[in-house]
Amino acid sequence: MRAVAIGLKIPDNTAFTAAVALRRLGIAVERVERSEIWFFEGEGNALIERVKADETIFNPNKHYVTVLDETFPRSGEVWIEPLEPRHPDPSTGSLEGRRATAWRLFGPNEATLARESLAAAVERLLCNPAVERAVYNKHGKLERDIPRASE
Amino acid sequence: MVNLRDEELQRIAQQLGRDPSVVELHAFDAAWSEHCSYKSSRRFLKNLPIGGSRVLLGPGEDAGILHLGTHDGERYAVVVAHESHNHPSQVVPFEGAATGIGGIVRDVLCMGAEVVAVADPLRFGRCDDVASHQSHVARAAVDGIGAYGNAIGVPNIAGDVYFEHGFDENCLVNVVALGIVNEKDVIHSYVPKGAEGWQIVLVGKATDPSGFGGASFSSLTLDARDAELNKGAVQVPDPFFKNVLMRASYRVFALLRERGIAAAFKDLGAGGIVGCSAEMTAHGGYGAQIELSTVNVAVEGMPPEVIAVGETQERMMWAAPPEFVPDLLRIYNEEFGLSEVAYNARAGVIGEVTAERRYVLRYREHVVMDVESEFLTGTINDELPYTEKIYHGASAQELPAVDIEGIFPRVLAHRDVCSREPLYRRYDSVVRGRTVLARGAADAGVLAPVPGSRLGVALAVAGNPRYGRIDPAYAAEQAVLEAMRRVVAVGAHPIGLTDCLNFGNPRKAEQYGEFVAAIEALARAATELDLPFVSGNVSLYNEAASGRAIPPSAIVACIGSIDDIAKVITPGFKAAGSALLWVGSRELVGGGSVLAELLGVKGTLPHIEYDAERAALAIVRDAIARGVMRSCRVVADGGMLTAVARLAFDALLAGRKIGAEIDFGNPLCETGGFVCEVTGDSGMDVTGTLQIGATIDASELVVNGTRFDVERLYETWSRPLAQLYP
Amino acid sequence: MSARIAVPVFPGTNSEDETLRLLRDCGGNAELVHWSQASSLARYDAYVLPGGFAYEDRIRAGAIAAHDRMMDSVIEAAGNGKLVFGVCNGAQILLEAGLVPGTGSIRRPTAAFSRNAPAPHFVCRHVCLKLAIEPARCAITASLPRDAIVPAWAAHAEGRLAATPEHLREIVAGGHLAFVYADSSGAVDEAAIPNGSALGCAGLVNREGNVLAIMPHPERDAWNFNHLDRREGDDVLATSGGAALFRSFVQALMS
Repeated sequence: MRAVAIGLKIPDNTAFTAAVALRRLGIAVERVERSEIWFFEGEGNALIERVKADETIFNPNKHYVTVLDETFPRSGEVWIEPLEPRHPDPSTGSLEGRRATAWRLFGPNEATLARESLAAAVERLLCNPAVERAVYNKHGKLERDIPRASE
Repeated sequence: MVNLRDEELQRIAQQLGRDPSVVELHAFDAAWSEHCSYKSSRRFLKNLPIGGSRVLLGPGEDAGILHLGTHDGERYAVVVAHESHNHPSQVVPFEGAATGIGGIVRDVLCMGAEVVAVADPLRFGRCDDVASHQSHVARAAVDGIGAYGNAIGVPNIAGDVYFEHGFDENCLVNVVALGIVNEKDVIHSYVPKGAEGWQIVLVGKATDPSGFGGASFSSLTLDARDAELNKGAVQVPDPFFKNVLMRASYRVFALLRERGIAAAFKDLGAGGIVGCSAEMTAHGGYGAQIELSTVNVAVEGMPPEVIAVGETQERMMWAAPPEFVPDLLRIYNEEFGLSEVAYNARAGVIGEVTAERRYVLRYREHVVMDVESEFLTGTINDELPYTEKIYHGASAQELPAVDIEGIFPRVLAHRDVCSREPLYRRYDSVVRGRTVLARGAADAGVLAPVPGSRLGVALAVAGNPRYGRIDPAYAAEQAVLEAMRRVVAVGAHPIGLTDCLNFGNPRKAEQYGEFVAAIEALARAATELDLPFVSGNVSLYNEAASGRAIPPSAIVACIGSIDDIAKVITPGFKAAGSALLWVGSRELVGGGSVLAELLGVKGTLPHIEYDAERAALAIVRDAIARGVMRSCRVVADGGMLTAVARLAFDALLAGRKIGAEIDFGNPLCETGGFVCEVTGDSGMDVTGTLQIGATIDASELVVNGTRFDVERLYETWSRPLAQLYP
Repeated sequence: MSARIAVPVFPGTNSEDETLRLLRDCGGNAELVHWSQASSLARYDAYVLPGGFAYEDRIRAGAIAAHDRMMDSVIEAAGNGKLVFGVCNGAQILLEAGLVPGTGSIRRPTAAFSRNAPAPHFVCRHVCLKLAIEPARCAITASLPRDAIVPAWAAHAEGRLAATPEHLREIVAGGHLAFVYADSSGAVDEAAIPNGSALGCAGLVNREGNVLAIMPHPERDAWNFNHLDRREGDDVLATSGGAALFRSFVQALMS
């Protein structure tokens, strides 16, 4: 199974608004990148062709596809994934539900945010722990936040 | 990449006395495009009736305006615009359809109106396989329309949808918007007398390379991703920004009213900054000077022609007296904080109105365009050849006798007849609390647009592609008739029309001939019914790579006024024992009907007799005025029996178990007219009507002796589209 | 002077007009407070958060608005026992702000109004709300009859109550389930739920009973002209139907 990131090549309005909101929370974010993570079986070009053939998640005029090396976030990235299994949408032809939204937050000089700042952004805005969990890359390994019970 | 033809290029060079600059080339390319210039349609469009006592503003500005009524001594008008966004919706359906709503809303907003409703006539390819490309387009376009309209808070109250193979490669996404305005507060799209020295203010999102395709980007340094973006030339919707922009503009309107200041306001559409500012000033008899380097941009290094004619969404333009401009800027930039809502968005002064009728663009103080305003914005005509054709009349083919019991459920489940609710449930039809008849509740949507007033406005659309395939002119005439009947059936008085003409390639004589014939037909119908066309749009080149054009599609919207919303006809049978009247022609032929398609026969088209049409309208309106009309439905797709069934369905949904017993030749013919439920002792003059039966105290339809259970018919009718729109 | 009601308008709000109009038609002394006037919000006695798409519901419905400056005032007011009522997007914002069900801490939600299910789409559909608590349990519903049925329009894409089983048990045990979906006769069944909401939830109340959040819009079915079943002779401009809940809200401010 491979993880595939589908990003927008048209301006991402949500990413802009997220950056403004995070700055208001005092988190030093210059820019936000966002993509949707899906999981597919397959390798190489065949995999990419399969993703590109799925119109419900990919339109060549607005999306680009990246096949990820790992099935967990890249360094400096966080994935927000639903706790509950996603209800399959019977109107789509896709085989897998969307599994996560990937966020990359950039501070000054295009450097990705330090882990503590990223975690603050997740905790305060990007994740609702009642229904979602955050997945980080910790020293090249997968790390899942355990969803908190009520505080 | 410029589409100007050689003779047009020569004309430009001759007039300028020199070779045009790059910016000028792109500016003329946009201004003289079919979309902006109507060069191959203008000479025919001028035959449409556009005047009348209700018309405050006919075609020519961004929207038309019709007098609605008076409340508290104030005169109110409805503002209406109608456009297509077909090609963008085929390429990127969600964004294309969403920006269609975004654009039409700006057209109404810029007349100084509050936007109160939208409608969406849609034509998609066949979606029998819900995983097909056509189905994806049909779903994504609907989701785009919903996402945009829902977020800005404008209810979607009317629309229709057809699924035809002829639209497999060219969907149609037409959009209509309605606004309400106090007549003394109308703002025009061009500057008035005395505007010399007014400032030109661009307001909205930062200008970016979207909506500008092509080769001119070779001089730009872009990363690979941006380069791909340019190829797409996708117009990016931003309903969040629009929501704020609309409310900020309402604040500006209020301040203009308060101070009694005049200004001009216009949407940026095709041709971008140049198209908008040139028309805005030239049509007032002035020129303009613009400095392009003052424009707020999204990326540095865009060449001036991209800034000048790029079609970035969510931008508008004001021309206002200099003393008002500081307040204008404060409202958008500080009070509503546009730059916090979208990247580098703002209102800013980019130029001024000049007495000399020249259009001058500078970029970093260098003149990059200097032309006579009228030459840029004046009319041009393309006299293309077309063929005239007689479409029907010869092949009279009688319908065979039908087995109602077997065929009626198939008619109800047909893709052109079955319930549209799975689709329109995705649209907010009730936001702002003024909805009287929501989307799909009746033949037309109805709003009470002026809070605290009993005034109402009705809106309906029509354009049957099954007729279009047979005869483009006939289809156009029927579109006018059906849209008008729909408005009458809810108790409104039709006051005006809009049209969007969706046709094939005007450079092919036969396809151009279809277009010409349709306009003549629209003009005939509107003249006969004494209704003006106040706004419209032409969408040509709806042709697949194979050369196959779409079914000719003249799509018409009708606006109706209502003096007192208490008189609106609510859906569904009201009581057992009512008389059911058929009001309309009794010519029972099947041409263009769903029945004929299911039976595989051609059938002849019902004749259109305007005397009879006018008489039918008078009867229906009389019954409503007397208060004897309990419910009413137009006869359209699926025929008279479908109309009867829908009156029973609506009663069922309201908890009234009322059905009907009728006796009528072939009740699945689609000859246009009305089915009316009137009180038994109506006292109305029933000349010209036919009593076809009565309502009964049971949830059943008894048709020429055949009995149907209403609830089972409802199941049959309500489910098919849920496959496509779960 | 009667109690002053603020209707906060966030960037992206779209139902402020009908909300204001209905509050006034029910006798409330209400006014709109635009986000640029956030600092004036603390001066009001009660708050009605209207529907719409604040910040276009980017990231999650209500998520960004819950951190808006205006919410600082609303959160403080709720803590002081002032009445706070949210409808649709207003409800989503109150939930993201942690004010309902209020079983966690501020801005740390213990539930979500999540994507509709099974079809993850916007749905605009006429519904009925049924009061699922004792009327006096919530100050805002105190004037409604027991088991009151309130007609309304559901119009949202993210209205499905979702939470962990543990949190759902807290919602039930703590009496936070203020409204459930029902048909017009009051029968509670699956078909009446437009969005797959857990517990059939249409509305939540906090422990103290001064904060109420409902997903459907009673203010869009609140004048006779909005109703398809109006009778001949009814004054079309008079309030009715969904207005009952707003009237109860205004009533609570007068007592």
